[in-house]
Amino acid sequence: MLLLDYQNVLIESLLRDRFAPDASPTSIDQVVSDFDNVTFHISTPNTKTQILVSISVKCYPELLKYGAQEILEREYGQYIVEPEQAYNFSVQVDLEKLPESQEERDDLVKRISLLKRNAMAAPFEQAFQEYAQLAEQMRGLTLESAPQGLKEGGEVRAIHYRDEEAIYIKASHDRVTVIFSTVFREETDRVFGKIFLQEFVDARRRAIQNAPQVMFRNDPPLELQGQPGLQSGKGDIGYITFVLFPRHLTPQRQPDVISHIQTFRDYFHYHIKASKAYIHSRMRRRTADFLQVLRRARPEAEEKERKTASGRTFRVQG
Amino acid sequence: MSQSLRPYLSCVRSTLTAALSLSNFASQASERHNVPEIEAASSPEVLLNPLIVSRNQEERVLVEPSINSVRVSIRIKQADEIEHILVHKFTRFLTQRAEAFFILRRKATPGYDISFLITNYHTEEMLKHKLVDFIIQFMEEVDKEISEMKLFAFFAPTTHQNDIEKG
Repeated sequence: MLLLDYQNVLIESLLRDRFAPDASPTSIDQVVSDFDNVTFHISTPNTKTQILVSISVKCYPELLKYGAQEILEREYGQYIVEPEQAYNFSVQVDLEKLPESQEERDDLVKRISLLKRNAMAAPFEQAFQEYAQLAEQMRGLTLESAPQGLKEGGEVRAIHYRDEEAIYIKASHDRVTVIFSTVFREETDRVFGKIFLQEFVDARRRAIQNAPQVMFRNDPPLELQGQPGLQSGKGDIGYITFVLFPRHLTPQRQPDVISHIQTFRDYFHYHIKASKAYIHSRMRRRTADFLQVLRRARPEAEEKERKTASGRTFRVQG
Repeated sequence: MSQSLRPYLSCVRSTLTAALSLSNFASQASERHNVPEIEAASSPEVLLNPLIVSRNQEERVLVEPSINSVRVSIRIKQADEIEHILVHKFTRFLTQRAEAFFILRRKATPGYDISFLITNYHTEEMLKHKLVDFIIQFMEEVDKEISEMKLFAFFAPTTHQNDIEKG
């Protein structure tokens, strides 16, 4: 089964075509959709050599609050331009001033196609930094002697990235907790989701000892107490908690962890849909089998001898 | 086949074979009507005693014979939530295609998952023992199918979770 890429494939292929050494500049005007209601706009507003890539994210104000600006500046530096009308953030690449070497060009393509991932990464990075600070302060203190604020950890960062669903991130001195709220559209989805998540929960007990701890419940976890807009008590909303331990939070692992966690929801719902499709095709096949068995119950019509008016017999061919 | 399944199925088989001695019988209540008496239930003297063959609390078959029709209702095993959903989905899928199945009833009798209605016209057109074979095979396969689908639903995630979790 598939594992989703983190970058936007359409943007990647489009830019790669344009960046190829023998490509002639053409005008582009394309709107690209991504997961979580994210929209991109790739265009050449001024000249054919200047490609403008804009992104619109529903929760951009929240992301800004959690330091998205610095992350995007770090990633895109010189390419950032004024955001296009109706979009949140824009980068512009001039085909005449591309980097010389192929590797650098590939890197640039990669970075631009990761625009959504980088924008959404801000709260994660901030939480990871906070975790590092808290861990530093905790050093040398025991749980008993630590001041109250330190034990409880930092504030909860909420990203309402879809209409009814949100990610909550909370850093403490010994872990970072990431909580997804997810809505199941129907009963079947809920049951399939439950089984799928149960496997995640069980995974730690079996093969994958190092995996983050996963918990699943239908009412909001205690970490989210006091958050506005929480729903509970109904069966169609679920809360999935990932607990990231220090071994997941080493600097070399952080980028991977962020990417993986971000695609979790898409992956999860994709799995539910795929399971349903598979079961449907099985049922189709099985029904055809049953029909065949039933058809056997019907005796074959016996061939009667037929005669023409003059009394000669004939047989129907075929 | 498991120990208790064999006697269960053979019991259902003999019950059905006995019940399927149907004859054409016009309605006593209204002239020029010919309806399955078990559904109309307009004259009690043509209805025979209904019979339940049950394997355990969850699995049972209800056979309701009458002079010109037999209604067979099957309750399929559903141990947990996921099996319940799979059974529901599967029987719904089948009943939506009831037209092709001739003997399938569009709606199950209350308390059962799927019902068949065999009338004297069916037994005239089709071979009786093959009809019984079909019902028996259906009961065997439906259990197998449900447990296979369940296994799939359980094991598919195991093969993928390694990917997303960075162990």
